[in-house]
Amino acid sequence: MAVGEQKAKNRRGIRAWLNPYHYNAERWAYFFQRVTGVAILAYVLGHLGDTSFFVGGPTGAGPSESAWKFIGSIFENSFGHLILILVVLVLFFHGVNGVRLVLAEFGLILQKPSAIEYPYKPRSLGHGQRALIYVGIAIAVAAAVWAFLVLFEGMG
Amino acid sequence: MKESRLMLIQYATAVAAVALVSVHLIMQGVIYPYATAISFNNILSVYKNGFYAIFLEALLVVVLVHGFNGVRIILQEIRQTKPWSQMVDAGTVVAIIVTVAYGTRTVILAVFGAVSPA
Repeated sequence: MAVGEQKAKNRRGIRAWLNPYHYNAERWAYFFQRVTGVAILAYVLGHLGDTSFFVGGPTGAGPSESAWKFIGSIFENSFGHLILILVVLVLFFHGVNGVRLVLAEFGLILQKPSAIEYPYKPRSLGHGQRALIYVGIAIAVAAAVWAFLVLFEGMG
Repeated sequence: MKESRLMLIQYATAVAAVALVSVHLIMQGVIYPYATAISFNNILSVYKNGFYAIFLEALLVVVLVHGFNGVRIILQEIRQTKPWSQMVDAGTVVAIIVTVAYGTRTVILAVFGAVSPA
């Protein structure tokens, strides 16, 4: 790769992590960690807004049952519950994958580094940390199923 | 603040958020049925319990610091000029202060405010 081409590749900024195609599972996990993180923050901000209706909304002064019923009439329906299931799905993936990242950051789930040889697979990324990516996906799906049962089937 | 310290804050709030959000979700669909958990009277009793009100405030701070610091990290990667970096850092601090203040207002009014009739 030419020097100019390499420089351009290194300066792609946000576009680089938005395109994990051709990369390994860790890179896909990195991509989803960021996308789910932004999505969860968007939900949290919305949740801050809707829970404020418990005290009457932005202009409220104390617990108000009528304002709470009003906001419930907007969000407590099948569409709102579907959004909550999606939130649970991405939240659990983000949480478990985040724990993997913290463990990796402190070197607790990495193998010893070794010389780079063909086929250039990073040997320090052991099976344990990769397994955690799949564990995160499995836990996220299981949590989403649980959320479906709680919200649509009345379990809990 | 040094970037390495900000990353440590990101990891510390991540671990705290996993614990706090887990408890929050358990309260919503495991300990109580969902319909009961979000009923007005149940939420009022939760807020009036001082321990859980403090728990919700901690959840609020931890999640918002982690979330906005995460967005800050993403934005810092877009470009590395000093004005951009300072603007992103300042914007993050303002966003955290404003949202934590709004959420804290909800907690305070729920705990101490007079209950309006339905």
